[in-house]
Amino acid sequence: MELESLLNQEGLVHQKPKTEEIRERASAIDHPVRLFYGETYDAYGDPIDSIKYYFFVSMLSKSLKEEGYSTDPRILVADVAACRNVSSDLNDKYIELGDKRAKFVHKVSDTYNLDLNVVKMSDYLFTPEFQSHLEEIVELCKGDPEIMKRIEKTVPESKIDIERKKSFAYSFDEIGTIIDLDVKVGPPREDLYDDVARKIAEVQQRKSLMSLFLTPTFPLGKSWAYFFANEGIEDHGITAYKAGSKQLQGNRIIVGKTSSLEAGNLIDSSFVPPSLELPHPILDIGIIAEMARINLEGGDFNLYKRVQEGQLDERALKGEVKDSLNKYILSKF
Amino acid sequence: MDLEEIVAKDYEQKSAQREKEKRYYEEKLQRTGLKTLDRFLRYCSNPSDYMKNGITYAHRDLENVAEAIAENKPWAVVSGLNPSSPLHLGHKAIFDELLWMQENGAEIYIPLTNDESYVVGKSPSLAESRRIAYESVIPSIIAMGFNSHKTHIYVDSDYKEIYNVAMDVSNKLTLNKALKVFGLDNELDNENPGTMFYRSAVQVAQILLPQYEEFGGPKPTLVPVGIDQHPYILLARDVAEKKGFILPSEIVTKFLWGFDGKGKMSSSRNGSAIFLTDDPNSIDTIVKKSYTGGSPSGKFQKEHGGIPEICPIWSVRTYHFQRDNSVDRKCSSGEILCGQCKKEALEEIKDFLSDHQSKLPEARKRVDEFILKTPINSILE
Repeated sequence: MELESLLNQEGLVHQKPKTEEIRERASAIDHPVRLFYGETYDAYGDPIDSIKYYFFVSMLSKSLKEEGYSTDPRILVADVAACRNVSSDLNDKYIELGDKRAKFVHKVSDTYNLDLNVVKMSDYLFTPEFQSHLEEIVELCKGDPEIMKRIEKTVPESKIDIERKKSFAYSFDEIGTIIDLDVKVGPPREDLYDDVARKIAEVQQRKSLMSLFLTPTFPLGKSWAYFFANEGIEDHGITAYKAGSKQLQGNRIIVGKTSSLEAGNLIDSSFVPPSLELPHPILDIGIIAEMARINLEGGDFNLYKRVQEGQLDERALKGEVKDSLNKYILSKF
Repeated sequence: MDLEEIVAKDYEQKSAQREKEKRYYEEKLQRTGLKTLDRFLRYCSNPSDYMKNGITYAHRDLENVAEAIAENKPWAVVSGLNPSSPLHLGHKAIFDELLWMQENGAEIYIPLTNDESYVVGKSPSLAESRRIAYESVIPSIIAMGFNSHKTHIYVDSDYKEIYNVAMDVSNKLTLNKALKVFGLDNELDNENPGTMFYRSAVQVAQILLPQYEEFGGPKPTLVPVGIDQHPYILLARDVAEKKGFILPSEIVTKFLWGFDGKGKMSSSRNGSAIFLTDDPNSIDTIVKKSYTGGSPSGKFQKEHGGIPEICPIWSVRTYHFQRDNSVDRKCSSGEILCGQCKKEALEEIKDFLSDHQSKLPEARKRVDEFILKTPINSILE
């Protein structure tokens, strides 16, 4: 797929660098283009929404390779970060869950013939090289009140005191991980980390990462009233990679757990917005299924355009999304 | 002063009035912490006409109600009315909004507050406002098309249960709190024990009544109000919290201008209101003499347009007859002048009154179907 087609896909790409910027970077660097998506997880399983990112990073990598560039497409399973989010007695369980998530990424990669390298945070975080790299970053940040202010912003207000006591270890691990990337793919809410990484790169006078945000994830099986009541959901949605984000695990498609019937019921009871500017959980699932089809059979995106042009009424859209979801994703796991 | 100066001054005054009007609602919104309906309008696929054209414009906690609408759960609306006179066109606006709510699943409770009419001095006796309630107000409400299975009307003095409920909520309030909420801390000279009992206890009882066991227990309850009635909701929310009820929500509608242009349509100002029981042939004068947002010079108005936001004629037509904002557009662009607009308004109002009044004889026969009689025993046993 051409880079332009992929990056201009409405309903999938929320914010992106110009294609020319990516090409310029790819031409200017002396290493493969570092493409990256990182995620944590929870105990509820592997949400279909994570697959959207795996597909995208792989498709981006293949598009660049078709143009002759070398790439390093990487999916990070942030097991250490996931452990930091839970109490210490759950660490062993979460390390195990990290292994499972990494296996899941491998399985998705194999099933759809993706171009991905899977890395766990525990594989590199405690190496002397990374720790020394991290120390350098921490030192630089602590000497710059403006950067420290930005780092504080990466933490929700309710957790600021706890994170301060932990010397913002979670944030620094994240920043240390992403600072040398070329293109970082993620949900829009990660802009705060990316912003700090760019600021540090500016101070160090080196190339900064380019952020590429995909559209937010929304719960299924919810009426219009849910979206009306949740101000700000349009911008950030719920956490794509945590099935239990906001305790909405019953409103997500969890690969290997949610049956075809359950997924169908969730789709049938989901809100279809009157405008494509509003959250559209069904279209989002439809586009993920479309990415699966493209990876398996080739072809191009067309669902968004057909919805935009009013070619599908609510019933037809729901029917088509259920069919393609079953055919291209649920039946494979 | 020559005509040109008069015209310019008139335009300047009316423009200033429009700005003042706009500021009034904006400031009230800021002061009360209410939210606009913008977000609701983005998500709700069938908002009411009043919501669409900005007449119903603000809310608090409409989220509860939206969930009930979307998921077909029970919810209630409470909209009280002082029956010191027959209904007028201003009241009709409220009832049109209630009809939309009923179509969207609400049980409608309409307390007719003849006790209030009496204690605040709007009616010479409890009996007089009670008579108006049964003879005129209730039939007019029924004639608007409400469903008797989902509409519960009561005249306070006849539904004595409401006073027991008022007693029940009373011990969740302090008089100090009520005085502060109503801003009456230093203005008690015009109050009597009845007004205080009514405002602080009976009105709260009316708002919370649908959440009593006899009506299915706690449920989202919406109270449509004018922005000046906001304090009543605050008091009711305070009590609801203490009783373990769902905090009542409110939705705010802008008032309909009186024909005298001196504020909201009111039965207590001559020349302000057209009543739903007025003879259609008797309303020519009030409409023809109505204040408008137009200019003394037709030429000037054609060039600069009128100022619809402060015009009672625009207000009546947009609220009741031309809800697509076409009057607004024609007036602002100078396409229609006040004479023609009044003529069209007069025809529309007359048609409406004739139609409404033709339904009253049948409506009078159905009054009993709508009257709430449910005893409230849960607080006595």
